[in-house]
Amino acid sequence: MLLTRESSGERWRIRPDGPGKVTGELAYLTDMAAPGMLHGMVLRSSYPHARIVAVSTEKAKTMPGVRAVLTCADVPGLNRFGIAHPDHPVFCEDRVRFIGDAIAAVAADTALQAAEALKRIEVEYEPLPIVDDPEAALLEGAPQLHEQGNVQHRNDYRHGDPEAGFAACAHIVEETYATPRQMHTYMETEGGLFIPERNGRLTVYSPTQHAFMDRMQLARILDRPEADIRVVSSPIGGSFGGKDELNVQPYGALLALATGKPVKLHNSRWESVRAGLKRHPMKIRMKTGTDAGGKLLAHRVSIVSDAGPYSTLSAEVLNFSVEHALGPYRFGAAEVKSVCVFTNNGMSGEFRGFGGNQAVFAMEGQLDRLAEKLGMDPWELRRINLRKPDDPGPLGQPISATDGVRQVWEALGESRLWRERERARSANAGRRAEVGAGAKEADATSTGGGPAAVEPPPWIKTGYGAAFVMHGAGLGVGIPDPAGGRLRLAQDGRIEAVFGYEEFGQGLIASLEQMLIEQYGFAADDLRIVIGDSDVVPNSGSSTASRSTSMMWQSLRRLRAPFKGKLRAEAARLLGRPAESVKPLAGGVRDAGTGELLLTYAELASRAEEEIAAETSFFYPTSPVDRVGSHFMYSYSSVAVKAEVNTLTGRVRLLDQFHAVAAGPVVNPQGYLGQIEGGSGMALGFTITEDAVMDRGVYLTRNLDTYLVPTIAELRGACEVLPIEELPEGDEHGPRGIGELGSVGLAPAIAQAIFEAVGKRVAKLPVDPQLLQERVGFG
Amino acid sequence: MIDNTWTERTAGARLECEVNGRPVSLDVAPSARLLTVLREELGLTGTKRSCEIGRCGACMVMVDGKPINSCLTMAYQVSGSRITTIEGLASEAELHPVQQCFLEEGGYQCGYCTPGMIVSVTAMLEHNPNPTMEEIEEAMSGNLCRCTGYGGILRSIARAIETGGQSNDCR
Repeated sequence: MLLTRESSGERWRIRPDGPGKVTGELAYLTDMAAPGMLHGMVLRSSYPHARIVAVSTEKAKTMPGVRAVLTCADVPGLNRFGIAHPDHPVFCEDRVRFIGDAIAAVAADTALQAAEALKRIEVEYEPLPIVDDPEAALLEGAPQLHEQGNVQHRNDYRHGDPEAGFAACAHIVEETYATPRQMHTYMETEGGLFIPERNGRLTVYSPTQHAFMDRMQLARILDRPEADIRVVSSPIGGSFGGKDELNVQPYGALLALATGKPVKLHNSRWESVRAGLKRHPMKIRMKTGTDAGGKLLAHRVSIVSDAGPYSTLSAEVLNFSVEHALGPYRFGAAEVKSVCVFTNNGMSGEFRGFGGNQAVFAMEGQLDRLAEKLGMDPWELRRINLRKPDDPGPLGQPISATDGVRQVWEALGESRLWRERERARSANAGRRAEVGAGAKEADATSTGGGPAAVEPPPWIKTGYGAAFVMHGAGLGVGIPDPAGGRLRLAQDGRIEAVFGYEEFGQGLIASLEQMLIEQYGFAADDLRIVIGDSDVVPNSGSSTASRSTSMMWQSLRRLRAPFKGKLRAEAARLLGRPAESVKPLAGGVRDAGTGELLLTYAELASRAEEEIAAETSFFYPTSPVDRVGSHFMYSYSSVAVKAEVNTLTGRVRLLDQFHAVAAGPVVNPQGYLGQIEGGSGMALGFTITEDAVMDRGVYLTRNLDTYLVPTIAELRGACEVLPIEELPEGDEHGPRGIGELGSVGLAPAIAQAIFEAVGKRVAKLPVDPQLLQERVGFG
Repeated sequence: MIDNTWTERTAGARLECEVNGRPVSLDVAPSARLLTVLREELGLTGTKRSCEIGRCGACMVMVDGKPINSCLTMAYQVSGSRITTIEGLASEAELHPVQQCFLEEGGYQCGYCTPGMIVSVTAMLEHNPNPTMEEIEEAMSGNLCRCTGYGGILRSIARAIETGGQSNDCR
């Protein structure tokens, strides 16, 4: 059944954070202010690559209102950050490697004074040659950006003998795919408030996807114990991976400690563009071959990824791309070579889909091209090559087996949209045979309940396309991936669910509340959700990699017996009744038979002998192999689209979409639908308009006038989402995570729809309208 | 005679206007934008700062019933005007019907674009209670949402239209 508000019935709930969001009352961390607060700003590099000859802050320090001007000399600890590989300077010492590199920071009484002071910091540069092309950066003689050279990371994979495989192929397709420097474009730019407390501690109010990671990194920079830092990290006005790494936090923390006053930073959009992460632009070459019947015999992949100047999670993203460039298919032999390269371009890093978006665009493009050569339906070609439930994962690793592949493959064929395609194809065939009214009628019935189709003008061409996604969740083998949480009956009688996760819009608080209501029988009013504060939450791991809903579900499963058992035992003791005769449910502990309320949670809390609480801690399940980054749990999706090409303008419009998603149970219907629709909207931008354009290391795109994220006009078409919840009997892993999946499959599906519409292959994103413009004769 | 013109200019002028039904009288710098006055002087942080070039709509407020980007509006331009921000839509007792529709349909995720989005929808429906899809596109293309893909927003708008925007059905 399609996921809608109506089909969800009472499971469709109002989010607990909703009222604050629709009234504007919810204060984001960048909305905060403190008495006597200063304003912080960062001086960033004037050049994409230069030697710093000298920095003088003397004039800036004498400017009115200026309270501190800091440089690398003022960093007490490690002058570097980076989640996995700390090589990103907080303040550059002797060299800048990109246009967003920080050199100094200022705190002043007003933002205007801080901005004026930045202009008075004198930096003498000696420009160096720019490396703005990852392939050129690998050539001998290219300027080297780091001691280790320009290679940030390599990852190769091979099974079987690809040469022999290609020799046996009847059809071979070779293509080079290129993907854009997509920007997360969270509506709330980076920022926060940094408060030095009277007791010597530092409180950081700033969005991140993993408060404990920020705390660890800040402790390393500030050279003070982690316990002296409190990170308050939610709510967040969007992140999509972009706020996973530190951004303004080092500057806010250093300025607050240097001045002894609260400091606020809030990036302008240009500052955000300039310094922030983007999706890795990748160039992916693929050579893929089949036998005469369409069986995949050999697959060879080469990936070049543009890391920009520093590492963050570039290596991990590349590993993910390698895995997903193989996808859900069985190849006779496969070989992947990949390299991530340092350049003087903007910072690339973690972004929803995590390298899967680029790889799947290429992989699915290969199958569509092969289907054309074979004269076979592209969806049928996928069927004969898809993995079976018990097959190993893409890298040969054991994975959690589900029937997701078959489920989403079949669901697509049965969808309204794909049936419409079948009808449109037979109608076209019929029309070619004889131009008649029957064909028109068939078209008119095929618009999915919309108004009857009007014959479009001849320059409008429509087509259908589909793509398959198998997306790994969790951080993967070799990366610490802790999970857990705590339930506790607080003194005021609220049941507190305490988790170290972050709310950046995905609906995590709502999902947690919904699970506690549905699985524990509590009422919303019994609950208090506590997240996003490193002083009070356990380390539940990061809110990334489509993992937090899975991990909350598993935590609650582990906590259910111990926590409810303790509530029950203490209530029974207080009531002088046998434990079996009472049940903790909505409102309090009730008579197990009649449901009569015997003891409210407030009464239980005030009378309990000791605190009633339970905690669990475990790790995200991983595959028992050594290959770093290999995944164990996967979500599956098939995506169908109908798109239209205007051959006069070359513009592509998405008209209709269908997503089948096999990822285990739907925890929160509204959140699930929103994640797929929202992910897909982001994928539309990746496909048709979004690219943060750089020229010789300088951003030409500075704001949202030239960086075009889809508007309501681009996304007004239908979007059907079909969740497939069924898991194999005895499966213990529950929901698989759907936070990223929706952002992956749309691009290749649209590329195929374009091909069906106008016969042109798209290999570079975003789609260049020039490619699709036709010469029109006006004679 | 001492010419005070320049001093007066740089010291700013008195801004008199009405914000969410309450009279406001403030000294503001001539260069102050309405967005800054709302957020920093009046503490109305429901109006959001995002692109600051009038492209994203996160800072949308109503000035005399018309939706405008407060980031592009100088404070002096609203002298004598009636300004409604997101904080001014709900009554003491209940949400505005458009807010209620967004709440029930899930027309938001991170919520950062939501105040501006709701202000634009409210302004649209006040002028045109039954807009066509083309009119919705036109009225809402200045409000960007990065989370929802607009599905929940379109359903919220449809519901608000269905229930008459001003009726109690969505409460």
